[in-house]
Amino acid sequence: MAQPAHPQAMTPSRPGRTRTAPPMKPGNWPSSARYRTYLAFDFTGLVYLIAGFVVLRAAWAFGSGPEAWSALLASFAHPVYLAFHLVTLLSVIFVGVRFFRLFPKAQPARIGPAKPPPRPLLHAGLYVAWAGVTLLLVAVLGGIVP
Amino acid sequence: MSELRKKTFVVTRFDPDKDQVPKTQSYEIPVRPDWKVLDALNYIKDEVDSTVSHRWSCRMAVCGSCGMMVNGEPKLTCSTALSDYGDVVEIEPLANFPVIRDLVVELDGFMEKFKSVKPWILRAKEKAPEEGTYRQSPEELDAFKQFSMCINCMLCYAACPVVAQEPDFLGPAAAALGHRYNMDSRDEGAAERNEVFRGDGTVFHCSYANECSEVCPKNVDPAAAINQAKLLAVVDWATSFVVPRGGKK
Repeated sequence: MAQPAHPQAMTPSRPGRTRTAPPMKPGNWPSSARYRTYLAFDFTGLVYLIAGFVVLRAAWAFGSGPEAWSALLASFAHPVYLAFHLVTLLSVIFVGVRFFRLFPKAQPARIGPAKPPPRPLLHAGLYVAWAGVTLLLVAVLGGIVP
Repeated sequence: MSELRKKTFVVTRFDPDKDQVPKTQSYEIPVRPDWKVLDALNYIKDEVDSTVSHRWSCRMAVCGSCGMMVNGEPKLTCSTALSDYGDVVEIEPLANFPVIRDLVVELDGFMEKFKSVKPWILRAKEKAPEEGTYRQSPEELDAFKQFSMCINCMLCYAACPVVAQEPDFLGPAAAALGHRYNMDSRDEGAAERNEVFRGDGTVFHCSYANECSEVCPKNVDPAAAINQAKLLAVVDWATSFVVPRGGKK
C-alpha cells in the first residue's frame, strides 16, 4: 500500500489548471531488500552516536586516574558492552564495505588536471588502507609498536 | 491462440473531475508470452476500457514517456516483460509525482528543476563561425558521455527516497544533466551550475541511497553524477576563496 510522499514533492511552483492527486511514495519500499539495506546503513548512525558517548565516557575515565580507568575496563567485560561492541564492529564493517563499493564511482573523471586512479585500483586501495590502519591500531594497542 | 494466458492488471484510476483520491480497477485480459507491460495497457485501452489514460510513444525505451510503477518498482513499461511477473500485475503512476489522471503524472515540477541547471553549453564568448567547430577528444567525451544517455524518463525521481521528502531537491536526472555539462570540455558554465547545486535544491540533500542508479533503464548512474557534483561543487567553492574567479582565466 503506497504511502503519501511530501505533498509538495515534484509539484510545479505554479499549480496547473487541472486538479491533481497528491504524490505517493512506492508502497513496497519497506519490503525491498535494497531499501532495507539503505535503512540499515542509516540506522548505523544511531550505533555511532552511542559509541561516541562510550568514547566520551572512556576519555572522562582516562582523565580521572588509574582507578577510574580500571573500573571502565572492567565494565567493558559486561555482556551488554560486549554485545554493543560487536554490533559496532559489524556496523563499521557494513558501512565500510558499502562506502568502499560506492566511493570509486563518486570520483569525477577529473578535478582540474588531476585524474583519479582506475576504479578497481581505487576500490582495492581502500581495502588495503583499511587493513593497514587496522593492523597499525592493533599493533599500537597491543603494545607491539610503542 | 493457445499461447494466450490470463493475467489480472490492477490499474490506478483517478479522474480529477470525479475522484477525491485515486482508486484501483482490475482488468483480467488474455496476454501473449512476448508482451511487454505497455502492450497489456494498450490492450486494455483499445479493447476493454477506453477511459484508461497513460503516456507512451516510441515503444523502444528511447522516448522515456511510459515510465510507471509496476508492482511497486519504477519501470519503462515498453521494455518490461510481462513474463517476469505473476498472474497479478499492479500498475500505478510514477511515485513521488502529482497525478493528473490515471497513470499520467504532472511533469512541470520536473521541467522546472531540469531548466534550473541550465542543461546546455554555456560559453563566456561564443566562437565566430569562421573559427570552426569546438574540438573534443575521445577522452574528454568519456568524462561525461555516460551522463548524456539520460532519456528523462523520471524513474530515478520515482525511486529516490529524498525526492519523496524534500520538495526542493533537484533530484537525480537534473543533477546528472547539470553535471554532464560541467564535465563537458566545451562548457564554461560550471560556476553558475555549481551555485545551483549549492543552492536551495542542493545536491547535498542526496543521501546516496543509490536507488536512482538501480532503476535507471539506460545505466546513466545518476547517483555517481550527483556525488561527483558534490565534490566538484565543494572544490569550486573552496577555489573561489583562494583563486580569483575560481581559477578561470
